[in-house]
Amino acid sequence: MKIMDILVNDAVILNLGVGSKREVLAEMAGALAKVEPQIEADRLLEVLQEREALQSTGIGDGVAIPHGKMAGLDRLVASFARSPEGVDFESIDRQATHHFFLLVVPEHSGGQYLKALARISRFFRDAAFRQQLTNAETQGDIIRAIAEEDTRL
Amino acid sequence: MNETVEREFTIRSELGLHARPAGEFAVMAGRFESEISVGNGREWVDGRSVLSLLSLAAGRGVELRIRATGADADEAVAVLGALLERSHAEIERSTAG
Repeated sequence: MKIMDILVNDAVILNLGVGSKREVLAEMAGALAKVEPQIEADRLLEVLQEREALQSTGIGDGVAIPHGKMAGLDRLVASFARSPEGVDFESIDRQATHHFFLLVVPEHSGGQYLKALARISRFFRDAAFRQQLTNAETQGDIIRAIAEEDTRL
Repeated sequence: MNETVEREFTIRSELGLHARPAGEFAVMAGRFESEISVGNGREWVDGRSVLSLLSLAAGRGVELRIRATGADADEAVAVLGALLERSHAEIERSTAG
């Protein structure tokens, strides 16, 4: 699986507005819903918040992978957002979160979900990749960084 | 006294080692003094890093080795191994209840 096959380029957010955890999720859900007709922003926000209530998806190293299941979706979709200032996402290492990779999965995604998680985790484990995202000046820079990592790994 | 303990465990949950159990594993690993590594036969990764644990793509039936080095290595391997071997229903109960 390639990340570029599931990434919705137009939903990538270069700079999130400074905000709370909920505002980050709402902004990302809104951006994705705007370009992805199968997704309704309010419903996605609700699903994401339900998941966060179980355990924060802020997994440390400045990275969060908010995710949720949506009925009626016919494939995995993903987006990315960056917060230069950092957000308190209640991450497990209690550090601010800068990189958000959103994953929305169909109800019966089988092994695809685990594969997508593993692949994006490999990307983010690489400090050079995180630095590239930090240095990005345009939405295009971010998409290029992800596409390059997709080719490299 | 530092000892090293290493044992193999099988992922039982039908969803595999996904984000939530990986998060619980990393947090629990951080509670032990011992250094914790997890291996899948190809590589060893830091047991306290969720990114590293997720990158193993450990689906149901996959065998993972836990290696702990430190004063509490024995207990660490037993507790963390039990986390890996939980069923999906047990993982659901751990955080939903």
